[in-house]
Amino acid sequence: MHRVLLPFEFFEPTTIKEVVELVDGDKVRVLAGGVDLVLKMRRREILPEKVVSLQKVPGLDYVEGNGSAGLKFGALATLTQIEQSEVVMENCALLREAISKIVSVQTKTMGTAIGNLCVATPASDVAPPLYAMGARIKIVGVDAEREIPIEEFFVDAGKTALGPHEIVTEIVVPSLPSGSGGAFMKLSKTAEDIAKVNAAVMVTLADGRCEDARIALGSVAPTPIRAIGAETMMKGQKMDKKTIEEASASAAEAATPISDIRSTAEYRKEMVRILVKDALQEAAARAQA
Amino acid sequence: MGKEIANFIVNGNEYEVIIEPHMLLIDVLRDEMGLMGTKYACGAGDCGSCTVLIDGKPSFSCLTLAVTAKGKNILTIEGMADGTALHPIQQAFVEKGAVQCGFCTPGMVLSTKALLDENSEPTRDDVKTALAGNLCRCTGYVKIVDAVEVAAGTMREGG
Repeated sequence: MHRVLLPFEFFEPTTIKEVVELVDGDKVRVLAGGVDLVLKMRRREILPEKVVSLQKVPGLDYVEGNGSAGLKFGALATLTQIEQSEVVMENCALLREAISKIVSVQTKTMGTAIGNLCVATPASDVAPPLYAMGARIKIVGVDAEREIPIEEFFVDAGKTALGPHEIVTEIVVPSLPSGSGGAFMKLSKTAEDIAKVNAAVMVTLADGRCEDARIALGSVAPTPIRAIGAETMMKGQKMDKKTIEEASASAAEAATPISDIRSTAEYRKEMVRILVKDALQEAAARAQA
Repeated sequence: MGKEIANFIVNGNEYEVIIEPHMLLIDVLRDEMGLMGTKYACGAGDCGSCTVLIDGKPSFSCLTLAVTAKGKNILTIEGMADGTALHPIQQAFVEKGAVQCGFCTPGMVLSTKALLDENSEPTRDDVKTALAGNLCRCTGYVKIVDAVEVAAGTMREGG
C-alpha cells in the first residue's frame, strides 16, 4: 500500500456526454464514490492518466419507483441512500437486506451501488439480489445507449461488458409478482469482511407450489452466477423440505469456487448448500406471509 | 485541472490551500492545515480511523480526493470541543474509559456525532450498527458503546 497517489489529470464535467467522451478504459477512469478506485490507485493496481468525476453531473443520485415497472436508481445513488429509501423498503426488500450486510457506514455513505457493480468483484453483496430480481443495466456510450440484463454485465472477475467509452447510468429492477419472497444470506469471517459465499434467492409461490425461482450465488465463481439447474428443478414443485434440499444440493454443484485466504473451495461449496437451503426456507416463509 | 488554490471549510473555518488532484483529503488536513487529530491507519477503508464528516456524512478521508471536498462542510475531531470545553461525546468517552490507546477515538467520536445528529435515542444495537465501520484494536467496544449511550443522554438533556 502506498501512502500517496501518483499524479493524474482531473476532470469534473457536468454532462454524461462529456463524461463518456473522456472515459477510456483503464487510462481514463470514472470516479463515483471513490471507495474502490482510490484504494486501487494507492495499491498501484490502476494507474489512470486521467480521472473523470461523475459527482458534478446533476440528476444521477436518484432512487425512485418506476411506476408498475419496479424501481430504478442512478449512478450516484449511494448504498446508504438505497438502504434507507422507502421505495426500496416496499418494493425491493431483498436489495435492502443485502446492503445491510455491508456493515461499514463510511463505505455505504461514500460508495455507490453502481460503482460496486462496475468493480465486478465476484464477492459483491449488491449483485446477487439484482441477479435474483432480474435487474437490467443501462449503459451510455458516445453515440448510443443500450440496456442489458445483469448476467451479461459481469464478464469475468474484475471485468464488465462496458466498452472503453461507456458508463453505467442506471439500474432498473422489475417489480415482483404477488406471492414473491426473497432472502439474502452471507457468510464472512467477520461481519466487516467481504463474503466467503453469499446467496440471494427469490421465489414466487401459488397454492404452496413454486411458480418461479431465482437463485444467485456470489464468491463461488469468477462472476456472480445463477443456479439455473436448481431453479428449473423447483418450478411446479411443492415448496417443501424435499424440494428445498434437492435445489440447494444442485446449487452447490453449480458453484465452481477457488481456495484462497478466506476459505477452501470445498468449504465454499458446502456452504452454498447451507446458505441456499436457509435462504429458500426464509424466502418461502416471506412469500406466504 | 492541475495545481490550484482551493478553498475548504473545516470546522467552520475557511482554509485556502494549494492542492493537486492526486492529493488525499487526509493529507491536506494533516500536512497542509496542521490538523493532526485525524488519524491514518489502514489506508484501505477498513478501519475508520481517518473518519471525518463531510456535509454531516461519515467519510474516509484517506480515500477521498481533496479536490472533491472543496467548499463542503468538513468536520474533524478538532472541531468538536468548544474552546477548552469538551463536546459531550468526548466528555462521555473520557468518563466511561472509552479511550485506551486513543488511535481510533477521533473516528469513533465523529461516527458517534453522525449517529446522534440523526437519532437522539439510539439503542445499543443502533450504536453498534453506526460504529461498525470503526475498528478499535484495543477491543474496547463495550465501553465505547457505554460512552455513546451516556453522550446521547447528556445531549438529550441539552448538555
